[in-house]
Amino acid sequence: MKNYILFPSYNEGLKLASLLKEEGISYTIAPTPRQLSTCCGMSIIYKDEDEDRIKKIVEDNKIGVIGFYTI
Amino acid sequence: MGDYRKLWESLQMDLEKHDALCAVLPELYDSVYLSQEDRADAMNYFNFVISEVHGLRIEELNNHRQKGGKVVGTFCVYVPDEILNALGVIGVGLCGGSQFWIEDGEKVLPRNLCPLIKAFVGAKISATCPYFQSCDLLVGETTCDGKKKAYEILAEYTPTYVMELPQMKREKDIKDWEEEIKRFIKEIENLTGKKLTYENLKNSIKLINRKRRALKRLYELRKNTPSPISGLDALLVSQIAFYDDIERFTENVEKLCDELEKKVSTLKPNNKKRLMVTGTPMAIPNWKLHHITENLNAQIVVEETCTGTRYFENEVSEEGETIDDLIRNIAQRYMKINCACFTPNEGRVEDIIRLAQEYKVDGVIYYNLSFCQPYSVEYKKVERALKDKNIPLLLIETDYSTEDVGQIKTRIEAFLEMI
Ligand code: SF4
Ligand code: SF4
Repeated sequence: MKNYILFPSYNEGLKLASLLKEEGISYTIAPTPRQLSTCCGMSIIYKDEDEDRIKKIVEDNKIGVIGFYTI
Repeated sequence: MGDYRKLWESLQMDLEKHDALCAVLPELYDSVYLSQEDRADAMNYFNFVISEVHGLRIEELNNHRQKGGKVVGTFCVYVPDEILNALGVIGVGLCGGSQFWIEDGEKVLPRNLCPLIKAFVGAKISATCPYFQSCDLLVGETTCDGKKKAYEILAEYTPTYVMELPQMKREKDIKDWEEEIKRFIKEIENLTGKKLTYENLKNSIKLINRKRRALKRLYELRKNTPSPISGLDALLVSQIAFYDDIERFTENVEKLCDELEKKVSTLKPNNKKRLMVTGTPMAIPNWKLHHITENLNAQIVVEETCTGTRYFENEVSEEGETIDDLIRNIAQRYMKINCACFTPNEGRVEDIIRLAQEYKVDGVIYYNLSFCQPYSVEYKKVERALKDKNIPLLLIETDYSTEDVGQIKTRIEAFLEMI
């Protein structure tokens, strides 16, 4: 099982990536899996235990996300 | 995850077919790359570039063209990037590394031809590669016969210019190459309506030297035992060098090296065999040999290929008072690339032996794309020279299909046990 965050554009994805880096939260940029979307482009893989913190960062910084998914 | 459909449509792409190509990448990348353990955080940049391979970069090429800039596609590390960049052109390497394009390539080419050629022709005629579709001009070169003749086919689809590359390395040939570069400059000046200046060329030489130096720094780090980066990751960086924005790429390679430098001191010895790969280029997404090898008890620490050391070794001298001096410097630097299309090609054998010592390799894999004559004929010479030096060598001849993966794995396994 892996957790993914999808974005409306890479700009939003990169914004979140740099915030995660500042916060010391580990993440992996990955191609968006086909099960989640047929548009290609980046997504972010994160760890279960960081989900709440990441959601807060997304909210506080008004990062545009399509959603959080686990597959 | 932007929606790039409109952009692709404007490039006259076959969207349905392209979609089938896009469908395979995420899973392939996940299983080959993201499954690796202990990767550097700075690899996230390269994950990003791959994730956006048909998105962000294509958008950038498009923006560049909207502003009147030109995009030129190339197929060989002999075509001088310095000239393209100095004239405001974005150069993109177009060699095809995917099995996906082979079928279309075989519609117009014989089946018994190198997969790299079949793939790039297939990519063009199927209109599924947005890089091809973004090019204002393709630049070929007279290297191997297969490529030379394939450019005639590409020219039926899109404007194509071919540089005449000498086949030998005498003084006369270096002079000829210098003249050929001058002809190339005229061609690109006509395309762009710009004039090459001393200043532009000098800046461009400096910029591309910096890029080469960054890659060299990365390779230097691989000399450590164990190497702080997998062969797969290093290969990816080399492959991305062919089409990414030069400054952004260089900056990110430097960041990666900074991180790896710190990592070196924390690494514990492992008993993995250190291997060199020598031979034909590996274009994205050809990760086949590295993937098989590094899933065994081995680490690839250097590639003597055009997606490896041949790409970055030797800088263009920045000395010179005139534009002609700089052009001569460029000709001289490029003629140092030791490709099997030249005869004789003693320099390559010397390179392999030197690199084997510098990188302290336990063995060498000679990677030969199927039906590549220049490299397969040259194998004998390399074999003899390495035998004299007691360096173990394994020949792997293969294409992009997955049919022979099991067989290659068995052969490499046996090789690793023997060395
Ligand atoms: S192997 Fe030879 S022909 Fe192919 S890219 Fe390298 S230099 Fe060019
Ligand atoms: S790998 Fe060999 S046959 Fe294929 S394009 Fe390069 S030189 Fe030609």
